[in-house]
This record gives sequence, structure tokens and C-alpha cells, in this order.
Amino acid sequence: MARDLPQEDPLIRMQRDLKRALKKNPRDIKWGMVIDIAKCIGCHACTVGCVAENKLPPGVVYRVVLEEETGRYPFVGRRFIPRPCLHCQNPPCTKACPVTATWKTEQGAVIVDYNKCIGCRYCLVACPYAARTSDFGEWYTAETAELPGKLYGQKAAANGYEAHPAAEYGQKWPGRNGGSPVGNARKCHFCLHRLKVGMLPACATSCIGRATIFGDRTDSHSLVYEMIGSPRVYVLKEELGTRPAVYYLK
Amino acid sequence: MNEKFFKTLLGVAILGLIIGTVGLINFLVYGKSTLALGSYIPWGLWVALYTFFLGLTAGAFLITILTYVFRIKIFSGIGPLSAFTVVVTIICEMLIITLDLGHPLRLYRIFITPGFKSMIFWMVVFTTGMLVIYILETYYLLREEIIEWSQDPGIKNRRIYQSLALGRTAYTEEDRRQDHRRVRLLSLISIPVGLFFYGSNGAVFAVLLNRPIWNSTLTPLLFIISALVSGGALIVLLTFMFKRDDTVIHLLAHTIRFLLVVMLILEFLHFFISYQWDVVYIVAALDLILYGHYWWNFWFVHLILGSLVPLYLMVRYHDNARVLAWACFLIVFTFIAFRLSFVIPDQAVYKLEGLDTSYFHERLRTTYVPNLTEWLVSLWVISLGLLAFLLGTRWLPVIQAGRGEEEHV
Repeated sequence: MARDLPQEDPLIRMQRDLKRALKKNPRDIKWGMVIDIAKCIGCHACTVGCVAENKLPPGVVYRVVLEEETGRYPFVGRRFIPRPCLHCQNPPCTKACPVTATWKTEQGAVIVDYNKCIGCRYCLVACPYAARTSDFGEWYTAETAELPGKLYGQKAAANGYEAHPAAEYGQKWPGRNGGSPVGNARKCHFCLHRLKVGMLPACATSCIGRATIFGDRTDSHSLVYEMIGSPRVYVLKEELGTRPAVYYLK
Repeated sequence: MNEKFFKTLLGVAILGLIIGTVGLINFLVYGKSTLALGSYIPWGLWVALYTFFLGLTAGAFLITILTYVFRIKIFSGIGPLSAFTVVVTIICEMLIITLDLGHPLRLYRIFITPGFKSMIFWMVVFTTGMLVIYILETYYLLREEIIEWSQDPGIKNRRIYQSLALGRTAYTEEDRRQDHRRVRLLSLISIPVGLFFYGSNGAVFAVLLNRPIWNSTLTPLLFIISALVSGGALIVLLTFMFKRDDTVIHLLAHTIRFLLVVMLILEFLHFFISYQWDVVYIVAALDLILYGHYWWNFWFVHLILGSLVPLYLMVRYHDNARVLAWACFLIVFTFIAFRLSFVIPDQAVYKLEGLDTSYFHERLRTTYVPNLTEWLVSLWVISLGLLAFLLGTRWLPVIQAGRGEEEHV
């Protein structure tokens, strides 16, 4: 019984795992994620957390929660499958890039150099998981009324959120008027900017069911390592040979 | 071509350019947000148009090879016109695909930080290669007339031809022999470059995993054959309009007829094999083409209007150049339908179950209909190509060149 009950919040353990990983030689780290779909309740908090963290504009999303219906009435079921970028170990998207603007880091995260990307969207077409989205330069506040001096409208609304620079890849991305990342392919990057300062990815911390486990998958003491060893583990579209670094538990 | 028809075409091109400019300005000012594309269908009308232009280059490519490499004399009269057609269509092709980029000004990066594993990289390399080859080939094919025009006091804007002649005032027999050698060498080089050009464009689609219609070894082959059909049809049309030669038209139409049948068989095989797999997402994509909202695009525009009717006309009236030209017009005009039914439906199937209900935004949908901006910009590029072609036939000796070429070929 004692073994079945969690001894501590998985977040605390993941935080400890992360601290330990960051002390390692960066080359020895291999980030990985495990999503326990038995624990996911489909609240979409991870999606919202990710959007808020990365200041994602309309139509751009890194982590969606898929809803699958199973069985036939009246014996029906429903399950939720959060789908971030799967950070494949054999990614089809990086090979597709004609300007090498996207690649896999030594730590195993597939990232995009916004200043190099030409916006051909070939990587979007190449990803079998539809995990990349294109930034078409839209604003949530585009239709908000503005009457200078009279109405506290569009500008104020934009300044309240989306005009804030996104902090992706440890840089400030203030330009939403044509400059990158507008026009670029965008995707989940395991919140590298958070990891750098010892914080877990936004999706992991916002998961109320603790269904998202993140850490160094080469660290045998880490929770993520332990979960990957579970007999319940599987990956999406295994037959494609992309070898995702995001695993699922049935 | 009579003057009245030429002026009508010129008027159409200018009108198209003016109307298209409205869309272009809208697009340049407001950017990519003016497009109907999304992240699940990131390639739309402009990519289809790109593959359309790609096809149109192929007939001219075939003609120049037959003439200058295999020395088939009958086509020598339309050699310069064909080479010039390749130049115009490749420029249109590059223009539309550059506009489609999120950051067109970064295009140079392809040569600075190349991704050698990317099919788009090779596509750009071979497209640029073809453009350079055909600009040089066109120049050497026209050089004799350009030098003549530069010395003719009756020609307007002689200075332009003098600068194009690069200081030459006379064209000797030795120059002619040398230019023919150059043209032959360029045509010879264009064979592997051209085949890789068409093949790599097909490979851009064929290499992608989990793409039911594109991911097939038949795709590059289908690209090459369909390009030869549409490109050949364009050359018949241009020959009829600019340099009517019934013997050439009959022979070319005969070839196109054969290629069209091969293309339809390949297309049938593509569908047949894919249906045999009986995999849900593959069947869904194929069903979209045959029975989806745009079923008429495949059945009526592509199959009936663009294939069966031209085939019937080419068989029934095989010795009537005018009817053959009309048949080829139908092939060229409806070819965009064929390209659209290749490019769009494959993307219009959700790659994961539940994606459609996971996050609501119009750019995260698999429904796509090109909007007015996309059509207007397309019109602008097509009109620009037509205008460049028409003016080229007047300002450059593309019609005059090639006369009496048979003996050299």
C-alpha cells in the first residue's frame, strides 16, 4: 500500500531531478517526457499554460490535448492524449528544412532558429504529428475597439498580454509586426528558457493530474527514467520509425 | 499571330496585372494573415500554381533537347521560342514560391546555410540551374538576330540591342558554329539537370512520411510525365499562335496524346494501389479527391475537360491544327485543377485522431478554399508572365530566330 501511494508530489521529485540534471555535463543530458494518459483528465491546463508562457498568438499552439472516443454506445469511453512536439530522435522535420534552421540539440530537443527560418512550411508538412504551426502574424486584439483618449481599448489590451515579448530560446521576441517569429514555423521546445534557469516546462507544472513527467531520460534515478521503463509505455505512430522522446503510458 | 489578337492578349495581361496588383498590395501591406492557409494545410493555391508552372517548362525543355541534342530538324524552328518559354515560366515559378515564403528576403540562406538533406534545397538548386542554362541558351540562340538588330537603323531602342550584343557589330560564320556548339552543350547539360529538376520537385512531396497521396515512388514519375503533357501542350499552343507550322503541331500533338494516356494510366495505378492498401487515412484522402466537396474539380475539370475531351479531339481531328491547338489549350488551362487535386487533399486529412476538436482556430482546420487575395496574387503572377512573354516576342527576336536552322541542327 505504501508503495502505491505517492510519497511526495511528483513535481517536487521532478524539480529535484532537474537540479541534478543541470549539474551534469550538458552533453550527457537527454530530455524526455512521459505522459500518463490514465491520469489526464482533459482539462487543457497544459495547453493554456504553454500558450501563456510562450505568448502564443492566435492559431499557434504547441501542445494540444487530443480527445479520442472509444467503443460503441452504450459501452463508450473517452481518453485524452496531450500532444506536444514529440522531439523525435529521428525527426523528419529537421531533414526537411532547406536552410538548417531547425535541428536537434545535444540534449535531444528539436528547436527552431527564428532568425534563420525562411517560412517555407516544409517542416509543417513533414511532421507526421502535426506538431508544428505557422505564425501568420495575427493578434487576439485585432478586432478590439480603440478610441484614443476615450476608450481604454486595443492598445491597452494588447499591452496586457500579447505585446509582451516572448522569452523563447532565452531571447526577447518583441516583434509582432512582421519580424520573427511572425512568418516562422513554431513548435514546442521543452521550454528550454525555463530549463536554463532551473524551472520545469510550463506544461509539466500546470498539469493538475501530474500526468506529465519531465526530466533527463538518461538519469537512472529520475522519475522520467522510471516511467519510461513501465510496461505501459508506448509512443505515437511507432511504425514510422521517428523514435519520439515523448512517451505515453496506457 | 495577327496584330489584333496580340493586342487583345496584351490588354488581357495588363488588365490582369492591374486587378492582381490590388491583391498584391493587400498581401504586401498586411502580410501572411491575409491568406486562407493554416497550419494543417500550410501549402495551398500558390504551391499548386508553382507545380503548374513547373509543368509548363517541360514541353519546351523536351523541344530544345530533341532539337539540339538529338538533332531532330523538324522542331528547330521553334527552338528559340521554346527556350524563351522555359525562362519565363521558371521566373513565374520562382516568383510565386518566393511570395509564399514567410520570410522571402531570407531566401539567400538556402545557399549560405544549405540543408543538403532537404528536397527543397535540391529543388532550388536545380531550378536555379535550369534558369541559368536556359537564359544562356536563349541568349546564344538569339545572338545572331540581336547583333543584326543592333546594327539596323530601322529598329527602335537600338542601344538595348547594342548592349545585349556586348559590343559585337558583326556575326560571322565562325560565331554561328560556336553558338551552335554552346547551345548543344547547354542542351546536353540540361538533360540531367532537367530530369533532376522535375524529379526533385516530385521528390519534395514523395519523401514525406505519413502523406497518403504524395508518399509514393510513382510521384516523381507522375510529375515528369504530367509536366511533359502540360508543357508539350503549351508549346503546341504557342506554335499555333506565334509560328504556325502544322507539321510540328501534328507531331507534337501525337506525342502529347501518347503521354496523356500514359499519365492517365499512372494516375489510375496511383489510385488503385493506394485504395488496395485500405488504410483509413489513405482512403480518406483519396475519397476527398473523388467524392469530397470538390469532386467536380477532379471528375469534371481534370478528367473530362482536361483529359478525355482533349484526347478525343486529338484522336478525332488529328490532322486539324486548329482543333489540336484547342485541345492543348484545354490541357494547359485545366492543368491547375490536376495540381490542386494533388496538393490539397493530402493535407486535408487530420494526421491524428481528435486534432479537429483539440484547439479551435480557423488556421487549425483541414478545410481550405483559396481566398480573394490568393487568387488576385496568382492572377498578378500569371499576367506578369503573359506580359513578359508577349513583350519578349516583340522586343526579342524569339520568333525571328530559328529560321533556316535545320541545316545547322
